Amino acid sequence: MADKSLHVMLMYVISHLGLIFFMYPGNVISSTEQGHWLPVLVGVVIHFIFITIYMKGLSYFPKKDIIRIYAGIGKGTAIFFIAPVFLYFSMILLITLRAYAEIITIVFLSNTPLWAIMLLLISISTYIAAKGVETIFRTGLLLSLLFLPIIIFIFFTSFQNVDWRYMVPLDADLGFIIKRTYLESFFAFSGGFLFLGFVQPYFSYDRKYVLWAAAFLIPFFLFSVYIPVLTFGQATSATTFLPYVVAVDAININWLMFDRVTMFFLLSLISFIMLYLALVSWKAIRILSHYLPSIKPVKLLLALSAAVYISCFFIPDWKDVEKLFWWNTFLRFYILIAVPFSIFFFGRRMKRKGKDETI
Amino acid sequence: MKPFNVKSKAPITVCLLLAVMTLTGCWDIRDINHRTLPVVLGISTVEDDQYKVFLKIPEPVEGSLEVKIVSGTGETISHAVDVISRNMETSVDLLHVKVIMIERKTAEKGMKDIIAGFMRSREVSPKALVTICDQNLDEFFSILSESKDLRGTNMFDYFEKNAGWNPEIALTRIWEVYRSIHSYTRDVAIPLIVTGETTTYEQVGSAVIKNGKMVEQISNDETLLFNAFNNEGTHGQIEVLNHASVMIIGNSMDHQTDLTDKQPILQSRINLKVVVLETRGKTSSDMIKKELSHLLTDRFSSMLAKLQESEADILGLGQLYRTKIDRKELKNWRSIYYPNLKSDIQFHIDVQNEGYLRTT
Repeated sequence: MADKSLHVMLMYVISHLGLIFFMYPGNVISSTEQGHWLPVLVGVVIHFIFITIYMKGLSYFPKKDIIRIYAGIGKGTAIFFIAPVFLYFSMILLITLRAYAEIITIVFLSNTPLWAIMLLLISISTYIAAKGVETIFRTGLLLSLLFLPIIIFIFFTSFQNVDWRYMVPLDADLGFIIKRTYLESFFAFSGGFLFLGFVQPYFSYDRKYVLWAAAFLIPFFLFSVYIPVLTFGQATSATTFLPYVVAVDAININWLMFDRVTMFFLLSLISFIMLYLALVSWKAIRILSHYLPSIKPVKLLLALSAAVYISCFFIPDWKDVEKLFWWNTFLRFYILIAVPFSIFFFGRRMKRKGKDETI
Repeated sequence: MKPFNVKSKAPITVCLLLAVMTLTGCWDIRDINHRTLPVVLGISTVEDDQYKVFLKIPEPVEGSLEVKIVSGTGETISHAVDVISRNMETSVDLLHVKVIMIERKTAEKGMKDIIAGFMRSREVSPKALVTICDQNLDEFFSILSESKDLRGTNMFDYFEKNAGWNPEIALTRIWEVYRSIHSYTRDVAIPLIVTGETTTYEQVGSAVIKNGKMVEQISNDETLLFNAFNNEGTHGQIEVLNHASVMIIGNSMDHQTDLTDKQPILQSRINLKVVVLETRGKTSSDMIKKELSHLLTDRFSSMLAKLQESEADILGLGQLYRTKIDRKELKNWRSIYYPNLKSDIQFHIDVQNEGYLRTT
């Protein structure tokens, strides 16, 4: 079991970056009128609490992924936890594929039909997923070498048009907590972290590095929301669908040979999303093949991808994507809370009993 | 070497083939030689609320660029562009539009929909500059098409910071106009352009835009102050005084704000660094300082009075009061607070150098 902390760290960073910059700023901006730092902070703190608990729980079960942990405890637990996780993964695949295809058509490929974009996204990510976890992580390293510099460069240049006086008023209230858009914004926090429990039998990682990666993401969470607010003001950025993308569109750099940096920014993020989709499909297949060991994983994967691709056609327009997104929010919170706590709880119980469970 | 196993490689081969199909990224592709890429888009309204759209298209002719001007009318701007596109042998692509020119009477009627349309469709970059034509657009473009020294991009060069721009020209982009439509505390100024006598263009001042409507006009000199307030840089501006002319080479400012009984009080201090260029008669640097600060203070207060009357906050003074006013109240900044604003502005002038000659 090789130590792959760097790969895990990079994977953690890029799968979150792909999720942060699109819908998250819009959701947070429309959840409150002022003091956006509080919703971001609350999200980040919850994120930290749950990944710490999750990793602590996982550390009680070295060399085991969460499927085997749950399966080892009993049939009831497996149904209670693994079935929702699988459902959640399928929902993520469906929603992410559909939503990002739509975003691509909105932002640049306005003439291209949705089915072609979705086909591109799903076929590439299925191919990567079919190659297994090693390939996913190696691709992650490659993509971060290629695109992280671009993302970071554009992130810094997007400060170009900010007017810091839009930061005030700073005082915030907690009214956003129950807002639908705020609850939806948690997809950026809960989408990526589950993979930590799936890679364990393949390689190990240092928990410290994952926390560093999560800390590295904090400025991105904060400024993805604040850059549109500081550039346009809250009232204006609340009228936009993808506030951060619009703010990036307003960047004007004379010496850069490219007129629209948005294109590079988006393409980099889309590549991260493809990898994210690959990772999620791989996790879903791990669950499926644990229960259907007789069928080859590749076949399961193709079946799953085809099912997801076909289901995408049953979502007629953006309103329905949003509806699905909202329904998925309940499942998301269940996953976000139940999985880390249960793993932690089972781990503690096992340790107290002091016996090594056999599977 | 293992023999190539078709069966095991089949899924991957299919995936790759599908990827090849879509990876080209081309859909309904139009080659660049079948596209028309206009640089300037002019918009005016004709009767029945129809838009008349003018496009200024650079055309490469035997090694040099010439300009073609086409126009079309339609219910919406995109419809008008479509009409042009229909009648042309190539398709019109607004991706590279650099300057949007709006006729004055259209701007006075309101251009909320036009700006929101540009922001929504993304066809035109939100970075494109906005100008207002203080002339009939038909006339403007017909004079332009007869002009000899008209090159493909010269209108863009006029505004380009590293070409023809100078600090008396407001640089306002589509996204800034869009921001001003929804923002509580900020409006914009847009340059007013006409065709010139000896130069191609002439700036006659700037239009003050409030909520997407042109409500007031300020002069070129006043635009300088607008730029100074927005930190656009006033470098190179020449001010003519009674006894001398100076060049401003740097500016900085700080403000003190105070709010008592819904009356904002603003104390600002603007520091200018100047270089003396020409003098007339007997002058001393104290005299120059005094004259310059007097000139600018007068200019500033008359401009502010004019702006307060039209309730358009192009200097973004409301931004300074964001800490002091509750957000709910901030919505009323323009109507309740801003007209009552009392300002005390002081110009502090440093004469950086006097050139090769001494002034006494």
